[in-house]
Amino acid sequence: MDAFQGLLTGFQVALSLEGILFVLIGVIVGTLIGMMPGLGPISAIAIMIPITYGMDPAPALVMMAGVYYGAVFGGSTSSILLNAPGISGTVATSFDGYPMAQNGQAGKALAIAAIASFVGGTVSVVLLMLLAPALSSVAISFGPPAYFALMFMGLTAISSLSEGSTIKAMIAAVAGFMVVTIGIDPQTGTQRFTFGNVNLFDGFDFLIIALGLFAVAEVCILVLNRKNRSLSDDQKLGSLRLSKQDLKEMSGPVTRQSFVGFMLGVLPGAGATIASFISYIFEKRIAKNPEEFGKGSIKGIAAPESSNNAATSGAFVPLLSLGIPGSGTTAVMLGAFLVLGVQPGPLLMSDRPEIFWGIIASMYLGNIFLLILNLPLIPYLAKILSIPRPLLISLVIMFSLIGVYSISFNVFDLYMLLVFGALGFAMRIFSFPAPPFILAFILGGMMEQAFRQSMTISNGSLSIFVDTPLPLSLLLISLLSLVIPAFLKWRGNRLAAKQR
Amino acid sequence: MKKTVFASMITVSALAFAGCGSDDTASTGGEGGSFEPSQTIEMVAPAGSGGGWDTTAREVARVFGETGIIDENMTVINREGGGGAIGWAYVHGKEGDPHSMFVASPPLMFVPLNGQSEYGHEDFTPIANMIADYGAFAVREDSEFEDLNDLFDQMKDDPQSITVIGTSAPGSMDHMQFVRIAKAAGVDPTQIKYVSDQEGGALTAVLNGSVDVFSTGVGETIEQVRAGNIKVLGVTAEERMEGEVLSDFPTAIEQGIDESFVNWRGFFGPPNMDQAAVDYYEAKFQELSESDEFAEVRKKYGWNEMYMNSEEYSEFLETEKEEIATLLEEIGLGQ
Amino acid sequence: MLASINQRLGLLLFVVAAIYLYLSFQLPNYQYAPIDADVIPKGLGILLLILAVLLFFSRAVETEAEKKKRDIPKKEFGVLATVFGMIFLYILLFELVGFVIMTVLFIFFCSWFLGYRAWKTNVLVSLLFPIVMYAIFVFALGINLPRGILPL
Repeated sequence: MDAFQGLLTGFQVALSLEGILFVLIGVIVGTLIGMMPGLGPISAIAIMIPITYGMDPAPALVMMAGVYYGAVFGGSTSSILLNAPGISGTVATSFDGYPMAQNGQAGKALAIAAIASFVGGTVSVVLLMLLAPALSSVAISFGPPAYFALMFMGLTAISSLSEGSTIKAMIAAVAGFMVVTIGIDPQTGTQRFTFGNVNLFDGFDFLIIALGLFAVAEVCILVLNRKNRSLSDDQKLGSLRLSKQDLKEMSGPVTRQSFVGFMLGVLPGAGATIASFISYIFEKRIAKNPEEFGKGSIKGIAAPESSNNAATSGAFVPLLSLGIPGSGTTAVMLGAFLVLGVQPGPLLMSDRPEIFWGIIASMYLGNIFLLILNLPLIPYLAKILSIPRPLLISLVIMFSLIGVYSISFNVFDLYMLLVFGALGFAMRIFSFPAPPFILAFILGGMMEQAFRQSMTISNGSLSIFVDTPLPLSLLLISLLSLVIPAFLKWRGNRLAAKQR
Repeated sequence: MKKTVFASMITVSALAFAGCGSDDTASTGGEGGSFEPSQTIEMVAPAGSGGGWDTTAREVARVFGETGIIDENMTVINREGGGGAIGWAYVHGKEGDPHSMFVASPPLMFVPLNGQSEYGHEDFTPIANMIADYGAFAVREDSEFEDLNDLFDQMKDDPQSITVIGTSAPGSMDHMQFVRIAKAAGVDPTQIKYVSDQEGGALTAVLNGSVDVFSTGVGETIEQVRAGNIKVLGVTAEERMEGEVLSDFPTAIEQGIDESFVNWRGFFGPPNMDQAAVDYYEAKFQELSESDEFAEVRKKYGWNEMYMNSEEYSEFLETEKEEIATLLEEIGLGQ
Repeated sequence: MLASINQRLGLLLFVVAAIYLYLSFQLPNYQYAPIDADVIPKGLGILLLILAVLLFFSRAVETEAEKKKRDIPKKEFGVLATVFGMIFLYILLFELVGFVIMTVLFIFFCSWFLGYRAWKTNVLVSLLFPIVMYAIFVFALGINLPRGILPL
């Protein structure tokens, strides 16, 4: 009954005039910042911190939370329209969102993303409300061996992320893994491949890679095709029409991936980016028609979008109930709490129920606002694509440069954007798929660190990965997911041979 | 690079102007005349938003403004990267600029000692130290260890059985504060197993029993202790701290281990900052440190007061650096 | 002998892998970790070597679609190189000259170079975009973009 009481308190905060106003401000600012390429939730929250000085903590934090999930909600726009991911959690959205927009269905792609985000956000708030206290034990159940196993599971999916040559997909993955080894190694403090250049000490920010490999590489293709007509005359461009069939098709992935995303969001360190990739791969694996993925599949947009929004709410579990920030963004969020004199942690729920439950209750409202705000904007946003090609190219380049610059204010990173843009273009023309590269970049670094942490803990014994049930079962699942398809293929070939 | 050259040219000429102007009004007796800031003061946090350096810089800038101790505007800018090295290189390029400073703490020693920054504290002008923070060593609530001596005895018997986790890389703060205390307790410093987790998983790994000891800042432990998830075996402060929960934490010294470690936090100017400017800021920081408003801030974040003026600060830093360098050498790290 | 594109790519990747592997062997060792910083890079280097060899000897024939993708006229490469050159110049000068001026110049000349001849719209967009972006970033969001030589 305590939780119920708490939730009532929460709704009192969220539904007060002040509460509604600040949720609204939060989600508007969040969406707008999220829509700009390169500006993600971290900058959105950091920007808002000084504004909240001296405010009452409950509405201020309700607003901050709104900025956070609003930014994730809005982040898909530039991924879909320009192939320039606004935030790292929406890179996977561009795999199918961009092709669909290029087919003249930008409005539809954006609408799918908005609805999937809304469902993902709402389902996960329900889960958050019901399970937050109970889930705090799940959030801490993953030690280094389990993280290693989880990342390993993600990496085994690389083969399913690509068409064509498996060798080329593997080469792309190894290259992505190699890029993430650049920088100071956290376990030993050794500089790896930095050539003493201080700009390389922290390695590359994910967005530099994503904007280079996707946005700048796409710009190159646009330059080559600049004489093709733009999509300007297509009436359907801004149309939001989703048929019953479409809704039915996305209902499965959205429901499943809202849960998957939420659970991955709960784990510190996993977060929205990894969740969106895993959900994308998950749906592709179980789809009847996996070959549609990557060409504008509805499921391919719905899965990562519901997942990354659900993961965002999931990330509030360790933050609110344990005081553990699971990602860079929640770390800044934790900073925002502290500035307002609120210490998130195991006692927040009993000490400050109005804040704990106020934030959760406000998320229902925030997600509804986001949907209402975003849907009418879609036809106007989709018009971006009718900008004449040469002008559009210049603007996308500008957005990418500003986005990267506002991460670190370091010109060196801009040169690196150019380098990864050239690499991305080369990969395009020689048919090396970019998704395995980016997946290995995300998972590889964490996998290596978790592996080596485990080995230090176990004094060099590999048995640490099979001694406890959690890592063992994750490793078994990944093994099976590798073996079963191979076996089925082998049997299929044999049957075919026999018939002949 | 060009930009910084350009900027410092401008500041140098601005300085020349300021110099001319103040000659007429120079009244205070002694060397170099007095200094008043004549433009916005840039406060660099050599890290991203939301961290310790950023928070300190923003709170200091805010309280300076609100109390009117310094009238001139102060803006905080973030120069993130290389564990601080990028921000330090940036400030180093502003030689002599009296309107620029940065916030620093022990990594300003650790990072260069580990060969990861060209510049260390001796390359800058210490202005004043403001805050002291201390390290804490925590274990899970149901751990068999009741105090530091239990832990260290076990480490002496079987060093392989204990893993310590912290947020910073080996050879940096979380690692070295532990090594320093453990060594004083008689543990062989070359036998300590240390794991680093920079993705926020350190506390998690302690709570789920993957590792044994969490080496961190005192502030990170308070909530978890209150909730009964972990217990603090000892802190690195010289004497008992004040405050709820904090006053329950035993120091290492109380437990017969004669060693301490201060996570100091203060402000530095670019190289060769004018003595008049240093005098000015040093006095202003002292005023700030003694103000009620800043006492509030310290209370909010659980920081301790530790004001040192420029001269005391340099001496303190020299001794610290020597100790750390010796320790790093002993365990075979550092340059 | 190197007629196939895969063979050429394989050779190139082999060289990249070899350089990476060489650098991995130069990494200093650290005595306190059972798995040192060089282990994973060495593994990756060897893996890439093997994959490069596999690619070299792979018998996969390029599909028509793949061939078409890399069939780019020389002249178009010149266009791409010029765009990259313009971006490079932009990066080189933008902290010195400032965001607004450089962005105005970039958008106008880049669009014009790529064949956009509606110069009135071009002038309008290349003036408005940087000014609006600058206003949003600096005044609304408090993120400083290089001011450069403008007194603003």
